[in-house]
Amino acid sequence: MPVRVVESSTPSPDSGRESRTGRPPPPSSSLLSAGRAFSGTQNVSSLQKDEAWKVNVRIQGIDLENGYLCGTMEALNVPLADTPVVTFWEGELVDGNNFTFFTRKWEATPEDDIRHWSKFPSFAPLLSQVEADGGKNMDLSNYPYIFMRWKEQYFVNVGIDCGLTIAGFYYVCFSCSDGSINGFYYDPNSSPFQKLELKCIPGGCSGYTFSSYQLL
Amino acid sequence: MPASAANNRPEDLTARLGVGAGAAQGEVLLKALREVKNQIIGNKTKKLLYLHLGAVPKIVSVLAAAGSASDDSGGISRGGDAAVIVQAAAAIGSFACGVEDGVRAVLDAGAVPHLTSILSHHDEKVVDAGARSLKMIFQSELAPKYDVLQEENLNFLLSLLDSDNENVTELAASIIAHSCETNEQQKALCDAGVLLRFVSLLGGSSNQKDGCLESIAAVIKNNPEVSSRFSCTGNGKALNALANLIQDRYPQTRLLACKCLIAVGHASPCYVEELQIKTKLVLVLVELLEEPGQVGNEAPFSLKTLIADDEELHKQALSVNAIEKLCSILQMSSVQARRLQGILLALAELCSKLEKCRCQLMSPQVLNLIVDALKHDCMDVRVAACNCIRNITRSLKTFYGFIDRSGCLQNLSAGCLSSEAFIVRLVQLLHDPSTSVQIAALGALCNIVINCATRKSVLIKCGGVSQLVQLSKSMDSVLRSKSVLALRNLMFLADITDKEFILKELTLCTLASLIYDSECFIQEQALALISGLVDGCSQSVKHVFAQDSIILDAVMRQLQNASSIGVCIQGMFVLSNIAAGSESDKDTVMNYLVPPQTDSCIPSFTIKFLQSKDILLRVASLWCFVNLTDPASVGSSRRVARLQDAGIVLQLKSMLNDPCLDCKLRVRMILEQCMELETAQA
Repeated sequence: MPVRVVESSTPSPDSGRESRTGRPPPPSSSLLSAGRAFSGTQNVSSLQKDEAWKVNVRIQGIDLENGYLCGTMEALNVPLADTPVVTFWEGELVDGNNFTFFTRKWEATPEDDIRHWSKFPSFAPLLSQVEADGGKNMDLSNYPYIFMRWKEQYFVNVGIDCGLTIAGFYYVCFSCSDGSINGFYYDPNSSPFQKLELKCIPGGCSGYTFSSYQLL
Repeated sequence: MPASAANNRPEDLTARLGVGAGAAQGEVLLKALREVKNQIIGNKTKKLLYLHLGAVPKIVSVLAAAGSASDDSGGISRGGDAAVIVQAAAAIGSFACGVEDGVRAVLDAGAVPHLTSILSHHDEKVVDAGARSLKMIFQSELAPKYDVLQEENLNFLLSLLDSDNENVTELAASIIAHSCETNEQQKALCDAGVLLRFVSLLGGSSNQKDGCLESIAAVIKNNPEVSSRFSCTGNGKALNALANLIQDRYPQTRLLACKCLIAVGHASPCYVEELQIKTKLVLVLVELLEEPGQVGNEAPFSLKTLIADDEELHKQALSVNAIEKLCSILQMSSVQARRLQGILLALAELCSKLEKCRCQLMSPQVLNLIVDALKHDCMDVRVAACNCIRNITRSLKTFYGFIDRSGCLQNLSAGCLSSEAFIVRLVQLLHDPSTSVQIAALGALCNIVINCATRKSVLIKCGGVSQLVQLSKSMDSVLRSKSVLALRNLMFLADITDKEFILKELTLCTLASLIYDSECFIQEQALALISGLVDGCSQSVKHVFAQDSIILDAVMRQLQNASSIGVCIQGMFVLSNIAAGSESDKDTVMNYLVPPQTDSCIPSFTIKFLQSKDILLRVASLWCFVNLTDPASVGSSRRVARLQDAGIVLQLKSMLNDPCLDCKLRVRMILEQCMELETAQA
């Protein structure tokens, strides 16, 4: 979801992708699948005032082998926008293989990473190993939480002069039990620790529905 | 001079080709032959004119007569005959060069045996002319295949290869390159030492090198045994020779050496496994892309074959600007069909895996050229363009555009690939007379219709659904499966109006027959399509109960009888989605899974699926029970009791430590829901 522009920033070209050694199996959950929708809020409060925007997210695609996922994010009651603001984002699954807990780009240092990941209580048991090597080759396939980074790539339905920025990215923690998502937006030029809280939408009138596609 | 010009008219010259023997007449004949030969060299129009005038059979007759006269003279050829043979053979070779009708005429006139017989002539010039002429013929696809399995033929080829005359060895190479097709033939030639001889000839002239390289590629292609024997030749001498030749000064030789190494690499990967060699090959082939003529035409095909399915080589190609070069050739004013096909196939391969490769292609100019190629007259080009689009649209990024400061759509690739004209063109290709084009267009459409509402609606508006439905009834199982997959992807997250439209076009009857299709893959796609239809809180669920539950019955029958895990998984997701609906929907699913009258006789698949080794099948089955035990539904307590009586709850309890986390969590979810319902009742 976009936040208000404070100052423009350029992501560094460094990649957080780690070399493919060891290959632990990728973490997965049937609730983190293409088509699944989530709904909730992002707290964008500043010192001046408390504010939260309603947010809808939909996963558009997921490729576990390459630790990739993407989706759209819709912010509903953005004060400066006439319509809901939709952005397209791409995500990295922290799988110890394609990506570790260390971002190594987007102006995030390992210290920034640890500080943000530590905001999630479910990260505590992993802390010591992550501090050592970022969680390289860590087998997270049986861990009940999936950690991700979501980076908005562009606005889908408004111009870039809409007064909002997507320069930062989200540290995301997904609960495999109920599909709930917590996240923290990181942008050195925006309010720190803006919290994203999303609940999984079951889909059906009285239960969970699933639908899928297949790329050729 | 006017008089002389009149004498050299093709009609007159052709008439003179029939002149009989005799010294004076022999000279006339020789002159006529030489004149015809000179007129037709490099002149297609003249060749066709002489063909029309019937010159070829006359020249072949002259060759036959002069050849036998030579023989009759006890091997002592008269100078005049030799000159006539040389000119006749040269003219025949020229007719066979570059004009298919010419090859046909030469073959029909029976030239090959006569040309072959003069290879044993004592006059080297005659042998040269015969070998050159035959080489021209064997370079054509129309030439007869030479049966190398016959001992006599093989010995003949070996004798040609042993010759000191380069034209003769080149002829042998041409015959082998043209005729060697089966593993048996490859092995016979290898056993006879042909490969060894070729390697020794690689130091010869440029033509000889090229001939040998073409033959080596033919003999080792897709044959691991022969390929590894070749690779071991002279302790790797053969491979070293090839590695040197990829840096030869002649582009044609470099290309052929690359082809040989690619053939070795595919047949016996262990010999060409070092990335260093492959990187060098990528580099050489990318340079060759810009060569004019045949080398430039063929280089993209070789590049595509080399990098096929190899992500590492895709990166290598990207790093040496392969995409940039391919795109710049694509943007040239007129590109030959063969070259265009190769470029599109190479681009398709490069875009098949890596996002950063696709990003390089995302310029509106290039995309428009690829889209234009969908209209090309040549079928192969249309197929290649469809494949290219299919692979580009594997990227989900292509579905979304963004708007810049001036309000313009900035991800123009998204705009281009969502444009009405483009989708309409792809839909038109579903009517293409060529099945290959139809299949390729379906491949592109499958990806294009996935996530973008605009594209879905354009496809629906331009009649795409009805054509997909038609193809889903095809006798060709590939057409059937791809069209059903396209319909499944179209159904994914479609709005209710579109879902209803698709189903109306498809009809429940056709859908049921697709669930019963003879191919498991098609059954699976049809079931996934139904999941898409029933996904979400929509009215569409009513369709699975319509017409005496024709769809639900088909789903259940497949679940009971299916041999494919994929079919069972998709079937269980259908049931799960139905069970996420109203109270009566849940009860219907429950009654299918645990029939009320015969609680002790649970359909065998219910427990079997929960015990399956396939994680996804367990997950799909568990979600079905999650929905049936939803605490918010009034009938859930009743259903839980029945699940308990049927032993399903017991089975679920045994899964509390399922090795798959997702399964374990769903089992917990169901058991917690059951407990919640029990507590509420108590």
